[in-house]
Order: sequence, then structure tokens, then C-alpha cells
Amino acid sequence: MKFGIFFELSVPRPWDRESERTVYERALEQTRLADELGFDQVWAVEHHFLEEYSHCPAPEIFLTACAMQTKKIRLGHGIVVCVPQINHPVRIAERAAVLDIISGGRLEMGTGRSATWTELGGFGASPDDTKKTWDEFVRCLPKMWTQERFSHKGTAFSMPPRAIIPKPYQKPHPPMWVAVTSPGTEIDGADRGLGWLGLTFGGLEEQEKRIAEYRRRIKVCEPVGEIVNDQVNTVNFLYCHQDDETGVNVGRRLQGTFGYMAAQLLSAREAYPTPSYPALGLLPQLRPDGDSPSDSVRVPEGLCIGNPDRIIEAVKKWESAGADRVNFLLNAMEVVPQSAVLASLRLFAKEVMPKFRESAKSRKTAAVKAAVLASGS
Amino acid sequence: MGDFGTEAWEIAGVELLSLTLEIDDRVMTSALPPALHPTIPPVAYFTVATYPDSPVGAFALAQVRLGCRAAALPRGFLLRAYSDSAAVCEALGQRWGYDCRLADVRLRRYHDRIEGTVALDGREVLRASLLDPQPISGSSIFYVSNVNLARGPEQGGRGVLVQVDPDYTFHRAERGAPELGTFDHASWSAAGIDPVWPVTATFVRCDTGFPRIRYVMDPNQLARTGTRKLR
Repeated sequence: MKFGIFFELSVPRPWDRESERTVYERALEQTRLADELGFDQVWAVEHHFLEEYSHCPAPEIFLTACAMQTKKIRLGHGIVVCVPQINHPVRIAERAAVLDIISGGRLEMGTGRSATWTELGGFGASPDDTKKTWDEFVRCLPKMWTQERFSHKGTAFSMPPRAIIPKPYQKPHPPMWVAVTSPGTEIDGADRGLGWLGLTFGGLEEQEKRIAEYRRRIKVCEPVGEIVNDQVNTVNFLYCHQDDETGVNVGRRLQGTFGYMAAQLLSAREAYPTPSYPALGLLPQLRPDGDSPSDSVRVPEGLCIGNPDRIIEAVKKWESAGADRVNFLLNAMEVVPQSAVLASLRLFAKEVMPKFRESAKSRKTAAVKAAVLASGS
Repeated sequence: MGDFGTEAWEIAGVELLSLTLEIDDRVMTSALPPALHPTIPPVAYFTVATYPDSPVGAFALAQVRLGCRAAALPRGFLLRAYSDSAAVCEALGQRWGYDCRLADVRLRRYHDRIEGTVALDGREVLRASLLDPQPISGSSIFYVSNVNLARGPEQGGRGVLVQVDPDYTFHRAERGAPELGTFDHASWSAAGIDPVWPVTATFVRCDTGFPRIRYVMDPNQLARTGTRKLR
């Protein structure tokens, strides 16, 4: 099991000149600490116009800053929006390659298509088309990274032969992922050999079934790139505290704040009827089950909030469900003080992380023993 | 508005035209009661529907609503409604909290468009059209429930928000571009509600209606804490 941190970079009102800078500086401090503590990945979203909820429209710049201030932690685009009105695919390939070079080959390339009318409508993109353009982009990106000259005649874009430079530092190219929010996207990812970058919280039983199907499909995939990424990456909240009650209460406040803010956005499905968006909005798992406004934003199962023992149990459940990695959202709207976020990271690294390093080691040892026995030597 | 104990009206064969447009955000805070939060970006829903049957006969109904959230739930806050039936205006107002007034409400289908109009004393106050209708699946459609501000002696003049959340069974659905030809703000209690960008238009044939009221809200409290369950 690998662990990462995940940034939306929400900025609560009232805003002044320092508001956004403060959030960015705190995120960088959290990233430096995560790197020191042995977290494996830092991910940053690409969102546009989502006031308060996410002020992170240029993740490649934020991740560049992360790269410059850290040594080992991998840098994840979570995700780049593969919609031509928002990003030309050549610019995606170029920026990703530069980030991979200057980080010494630490890029994880997440792809997706946006789930809100707020963003798609803002750029004049039709929700009907985003699945198609995403498909076209993810098939082209590996070729742009690996072919000396690239040309393309497609629906979303066409171009004559050009040398798309520079090439990524990782060979043949960085691992690719797809953001999974709508049901069925994990199958699209599996069929293309892409890693599952889960952006939904909780729902363990349902996720377990979907992960099993993903595993089955990706074994027989036709990869769009030159490597298959069969990893399953989930997202979770993290607030770890020695006192369980404090941990749960602060964690629920974090989760509730995030869910409330996500719900104020106008989802693509709500605004614009299309089969392209079967799920109602961003992070639908956080919406209430009931139909009364007094119903709480749902607390999904498997949340990593509470004391270390409780969080160990939650991570074990995700491990059993088939997840390879868990990314943690550490704050929302700055409801958790920075000192508490950093303390939570430290406590998690000290008391939770070793349990999973040990289990990974013991599984590896058992696998080696089994192989030796099987070979008869 | 009585004791919220109204019985449901279930109506088959309803035809409903709905337009969604983004609106200027400058008045959103004042246009919505404190209980409700505007969507990002703010939108308004313009609907014109015909109901072939009801306990008080066939009728047409037009509404203008603001997109909003009651806590985390998508809702449409009613600014005003018009019907061509005085009995319906009275029933919807008394039983479901609609601010509904009498007008000439019509829904017409042409080959290239579906058009809803509302006229008051011969003066057009709404013309809403779906251009170039194309069939889609009803499963793609999501209509938000109403939140109506009921004011009456029973509420002591303070007002109460009534959630009207009908189910829809779609038999036919079409989608096209929205066109708002006429929108007389004053007639819709919509001062400052200026459409600035088209989103979409849908037309459906469905079974729907007016359900029993299940939730009411205090307009001056956040919906999360100010909601009362009736049944």
C-alpha cells in the first residue's frame, strides 16, 4: 500500500491579497513534510472557476514548485482536463514532459474530462463530447511522447507532422491514469491500460466489485501507451489524532465542509442532459442519501479519520478491497489549522504507515518463498 | 397555505418544456432566502407545462425558478407561477405554497421548435423556446424539485419554504437550444434576474404531479438545521 496527499486548494471567503498565497504556501509546507515522512505521491487537481472549492487551475506550476522543494515524492496530475477547449493535447504533452524532466522522472499523468457545467460551460465545451475527446487525447499523448514526429487527423484536433519536444525523462513515458467518478469509467481505463485514479470517497463494497472487474479487464487490455498501469488509487480524507474522538470530530468537519462545497457546484448532468454524465455531479458519494435538506452530508465508510488504530483498520479495508494506493485530502476551506494538519501527517507516518510497509514486506517474502517452493529448489 | 396535509395529485401525460439559462449573479444573495445557497454559476429555470387532467380539470402552468441548494441538495426556488385555471391557482397556492396567478399560458409544438408563452391581459410576459428538438433518453434528464415560499395567515406572516418534489416517469424526451424571447421581469417578481448565457432546453412527455408535502423549511435558517419533516 502506498500513500499520497491530494490537493484541491480550496480558498474560503472573505478573500484578500494573501488568501490564495497562504493556501498555496501551506500546501507546499505539507508537501515538503509528506516527502520527508515517506509519502509516495502528491496530486493536484485541475479546476477552473470553482470559487472557494478549488483555486488550482494550473497544477503543472504548483507541481513544479513541489518538485523543486522535495526529493523523492512523485508528482501527480490529478487530473489534466482532456477537453480541447481547455487544453490542447500538444500543450499537455509538452508541459508534462518538462515537469517530468525537471523532477527527475517523478510524474504521474492523470487524465480526465471535468464533471461540472461550471467548467465546461465556461470554456464553451459540450458535455456530449468530453468522453470522446478524452479518448482521443489519451491515445495520442503516449505517441507524442515517444514518436520523433507526431501527426494526427482526428475529431477533437488534427495536426501535420511535428517534433513534439521535449520527451519525458521516464522511459518509455510516465505512468498514465484516468480519473474515475462516473460508473463505467474504470472499465474505459482498464480497456486502455490506464491506472484507476479514484475520485470518489467510500462505498467499500461497491468499490470492491468494481476493482475486481477492473482487474479482470485490464489483463486483456489493448494499452494506449507503451506500458500498462494496473494500479488502483483511491482518495480519502485524513485526520489522525491520538484522541479518537477528536480525530473523528475534526475529520467529519473536514469531510462535511468538503462535501457541502462540492454540492454547490453545477454538475454537468444537472445542467445539461446527456448520457455522457450518468453520475450526478462531482463526488456524488458525498451527497446525502435522503431527500431532506436536514440530512447530513453522508459520512462514507472507510474514512481515515480518528486515532491511528481506527485508521489502520480503515486502510486495511481498502487494501482488502483491492486498492494499491490511498491519497489523502488533508484540509478543506482551511477548517483544520495548519499545525494540526502537519501533526496529523506526522502521527500517520509514525503509527499507521509502518504497519503497511511491514505487511508489504511480509507479502513479498511470502511470494518469494512460494516461488522457491514451486520451483522445487 | 393550510396545515400541509394535502393529498397528492398524480397526473399522466404531462408535457413539459424546461429552459435552463445562466443568470447574472449580482442579485443572487438577495433573491434567495438565507436558507438557500445559489449554485455556482447561478441559473434560472423557465418551465411551461400542460396537465391534461387533475381534480380541478386540465390546466397549463408556467414557472420561473432560481437554481439553488438546500444544504447539499439541488432545488429550484419559485419566483412566480402562472396558470390558465383559477381553480389551479387557488389549489396550488393553498396546498403547495405556489405564488400562482391567472394568465393565458400556452405550449405549442412546431416542426423546428417547441414554444411556451404566457400573456397577461393580452401582453406577452414570457416566450420560451426549445430550438431544433432532438430525441434523447429520459434517463439523462434531471429536474430539480421546487422550493416555494408560502406566505399566509397560517404562517403568521413569516413565510415558510415548502419542498415540492414530484417523481417523473418519462415517456419521451427531447433536447435542444434554449431561446428566451420575452421575459418581463416585473411580472415574474424577478427584478435583477438577467439571463446571460443559454445552457439547455428539454421537452418531455411524462407522468408526474404534485406529491404530498414531506418537508418544510424556515426561510431564515440554513436548510441543514431549519428543515422540518412532516411525514
